[in-house]
Amino acid sequence: MLRLAHVTKRFGATLAVDDVSLDIGPGEIVGLVGENGAGKTTLMRMAAGEIATDSGTIDVEGTVELVHQHFMLVGDFTIAENLALWGVTSESPLPDPSRKVNDLSVGEKANLELAKAIGRNPRLLILDEPTSVLTPVETDELFRVMREIASRGTAVVFISHKLPEVLAIAQRIVVMRRGKIVALTTAAEMTAAQLAEAMMGTMPSGAPAVSAGDARRGRRALHLSSLTGARIDHVTLTVHQNEIVAIVGVAGNGQDELAAMLRGLVKPKSGAIEISGSVGHIPPDRTRDGLVAQMTIAENMALPSPRWSRAAAIRHAAQLIELYSIRARGPLQRAGGLSGGNQQKVILARELDRRPEVLVASEPTRGLDIESTRFVHAQLRAAAAAGAAVLVITSDLDEAFALAHAIQVIYRGRLSERMSAGEAASRVGGLMAGVA
Amino acid sequence: MTRFAIAVGAAVFAVVLLAIVAAMFGHDPRQLLAILIEGSVGSPFAIQGTIKKSVPLLLTGLSVVIAFRAGVWNIGGEGQFITGALAAFLAAPMGWMASLLAAAIAGAAWASIASLMRFWRGAPEVLTTILLNFTALHLLGYAVNGPLQERGAQYPQTDSVPGGAWLGTIESTDLHHGAIIALAMAIAAWWLLYRTREGLRLRATGFNPSASAWAGIRVNAQIARAMAFSGALAGLAGGIELLGVTHRLFERFAAGYGYSGIAVALLAQLHPIGTAASALFFGALVTGAGELQRSAGISSSVAVFGQAVVILTLIVFGSFRRND
Amino acid sequence: MIEVIAQAIPLAIVAAVPLLLAVEGEVIVQRGGIINLGIEGMMLTAAMAAVAGAQASGSVLAGFCSGIAGAAAIAILFGVFTIHLRADQIVTGTAINFLALGVTGFVYREMQQGSLFVQSVAHASARAQNGVVILAWIVIPSALAFGLWKTRSGLRLRACGENPEAVTSSGASVPMHRWAALLIEAALVGLAGADLSLALSTGFAENMTAGRGFIALSIVIFGRWKVRGALIGTALFGAAEALQFALQAATSGVQFHLLLAVPYVVTLLILCGVAGRVRAPEALGRP
Repeated sequence: MLRLAHVTKRFGATLAVDDVSLDIGPGEIVGLVGENGAGKTTLMRMAAGEIATDSGTIDVEGTVELVHQHFMLVGDFTIAENLALWGVTSESPLPDPSRKVNDLSVGEKANLELAKAIGRNPRLLILDEPTSVLTPVETDELFRVMREIASRGTAVVFISHKLPEVLAIAQRIVVMRRGKIVALTTAAEMTAAQLAEAMMGTMPSGAPAVSAGDARRGRRALHLSSLTGARIDHVTLTVHQNEIVAIVGVAGNGQDELAAMLRGLVKPKSGAIEISGSVGHIPPDRTRDGLVAQMTIAENMALPSPRWSRAAAIRHAAQLIELYSIRARGPLQRAGGLSGGNQQKVILARELDRRPEVLVASEPTRGLDIESTRFVHAQLRAAAAAGAAVLVITSDLDEAFALAHAIQVIYRGRLSERMSAGEAASRVGGLMAGVA
Repeated sequence: MTRFAIAVGAAVFAVVLLAIVAAMFGHDPRQLLAILIEGSVGSPFAIQGTIKKSVPLLLTGLSVVIAFRAGVWNIGGEGQFITGALAAFLAAPMGWMASLLAAAIAGAAWASIASLMRFWRGAPEVLTTILLNFTALHLLGYAVNGPLQERGAQYPQTDSVPGGAWLGTIESTDLHHGAIIALAMAIAAWWLLYRTREGLRLRATGFNPSASAWAGIRVNAQIARAMAFSGALAGLAGGIELLGVTHRLFERFAAGYGYSGIAVALLAQLHPIGTAASALFFGALVTGAGELQRSAGISSSVAVFGQAVVILTLIVFGSFRRND
Repeated sequence: MIEVIAQAIPLAIVAAVPLLLAVEGEVIVQRGGIINLGIEGMMLTAAMAAVAGAQASGSVLAGFCSGIAGAAAIAILFGVFTIHLRADQIVTGTAINFLALGVTGFVYREMQQGSLFVQSVAHASARAQNGVVILAWIVIPSALAFGLWKTRSGLRLRACGENPEAVTSSGASVPMHRWAALLIEAALVGLAGADLSLALSTGFAENMTAGRGFIALSIVIFGRWKVRGALIGTALFGAAEALQFALQAATSGVQFHLLLAVPYVVTLLILCGVAGRVRAPEALGRP
């Protein structure tokens, strides 16, 4: 079905895929796991023919369809038009195919993406992180579909970093780390913990869980009452000094609009935002909105400041680089040249340096490696301990449970009531799916 | 350093291509180049002519540099030049300083019409500024054929500007003080962009408006200010051209200075100090082309052609990026 | 006064043909995701090429073909820069306009000095003119509307303007679709330029397009990138021009110059009227 032999791929100085060989047979469901940057997506893009190999061979019987992490849909077109664009003549998987894709829910869009790919009758279907935007219920439905097409002879590769899911669906599991295959096993033979160890090279040490007793709260510092906009609906929430509140939810349920409203970029239709003191923001889309890539670290750090003196800015940036252990060539390096983790550190440094009373951090560790993630979490905890009111908006449940004193779930623009971490543990899955 | 080399390369290539095209039509390329060089820098008279042509180009070039750096497409230099000159003419009786101030304000105001339309109605400034150019052109036509026409009403031009408003000349040359003002503006623009908070924020907005907004910059206000500065510079160019060179207004007063500012700015890679050198190059090109028309009968529009070739060459080498 | 306006209307319908063709061409291209600011230069080049072709061959038909060829040459240049080299579309378009201005001015001067203008300039017959009018106001809009919204290629082209990554990922070629759009625009704009110099005027004059390209760009926005909007927008503009002609005929003297500004002011008002509340194709202008 699919045979990869000694495939290698370089991007500049980075070796993304390092001498990988793999066979996949018809009707197999294979889980491909690894940390961010392990090479999973690059490998599969080569299998799908989207990018060329540097060396090695790829033999495929039949067609390959790759369903990307980011939707390849035309938002302004209807469901029917999108299917037509892909040459899919079978019936629409969703009711009322004259609806525009922009009006669909995230789950429906994912459904459509899948239908597009399956509708072309591939012999190999590759799904890249398909469940990152699905609720648990939608995930089960996806697995059902996967089993069905596998039973009809199509091979399925399921790329994910969510180990419990992979163990649930895959027959064989391939673990990648730093471009190489480090383990080739079946679901029966490995536990999640062993898989995690293979993925990361060491046993992950759990972050200290925050218990409800940790919060010695100060005054109310951020209060939203009945905030309503195009994508959010009567959001009410409070964050006090010294505490970390997390809003969790699958991406696309109104978080971005909420963050933009808090930043003052979008005007709410109704409701109020009360903030006592200054606010620091970590934008949800770090690459696009976090830093000006073409400017230096010093310039980026000095951007919100009331005064600008080139010499002073360079000195100050050097101090912050030291303080936050930012791996950079110096304050004059272009921000765009830094890795994701270091860019996030720059943003964090800039925002925390002003000692804001309130900090709103959206997806603070998205795409970051473990070390950077731990660093960011430590900074957020330190800020809260020092008196700030911290609001974390995230789609990463682990992160929420690791950091927050209180959790609220966002679904379709509405917030659940405030829960402690303990209460949330059992209810979060259902809440994220919209089931109370 | 490579960017400088590419800029020089583009300039040279433009001239060479010009020679080739002229040869295709039967002219002798070497004679052509000789006339071009002779006519632009071959004599003190030619050099002064070149510098005189370079002054408005420097200012309109700076106008484009400021705008493009802020990420806003101000293609309206031509119209801002004209309205600047009109305002300068009307304010001339009050002396040259008031007159030039009026020119800058008028240019800023004309550019701000486009800003307003962008923020109020989402009208793209790349189109509105061009439409305003045509509007200003006809406003000028109306003025010099009507209310502002000279006393004798013979030609479509105004009277001469009162003597007190004329820009004096530099010792023993034919050069007016506008050259000094223009150079001062180049330095001021550099200082603004790289040594002030306003300039830092302006550049950030041009590179990445959404990141700038998240960092706390009021992006719309920033862009509006950049447009106003930009318009002011182009308006000033018009005022200086009036008070220093032509001393009266007439229909073809603007003669493409506004549009040429774009080529000047791009060749200078959007750096204010480099704009001076770039303006000199294009000034030489225009002056030389004028000589070409006089002696070889070749349309002086080759200068415009030359600008286009420079821009396209720069694009090919990817060295110009509005975001660099 | 009414009679004067009534007389001016058919004039305006005919006079608006180059503009309408430009709008139609630009709708196609922008739906594909490209802003062609150089449409002004394209039309100007076509106008000159048409005259040159007609003079050289003595046939108006050859003139029209030359016009289209001229526009195609510009389109190819523009396409190489924006589609192949992925350069900034606004800067390239602006450069193209300078290029066209410079080249047409230069070549025109040369032709004047040569023998090409000894005989009088060929002029299109009334029947040919009517043909073009029908083409521009009826045939092409219908074909365009059908092509863009009722065919699979049209669907793909529109997808290129909304989400080119999606198109590539579906296996189709974004550059091919955009090139096709550009060349169709060249045919339409070539026709427009030829119509301008061979039918509406008697020969070429420097800068004769007088901003029609930019007005066309504005009407595309006003018309929300739709065919019906293109027709309505151009008709509205044509009506304003009819008014302008009527006024110019009725008054005399200095007001004439002020009235010349009317088309541009009207276009500015048009842009203020709608822009901002309309949605452009999502990927418009992105290389």
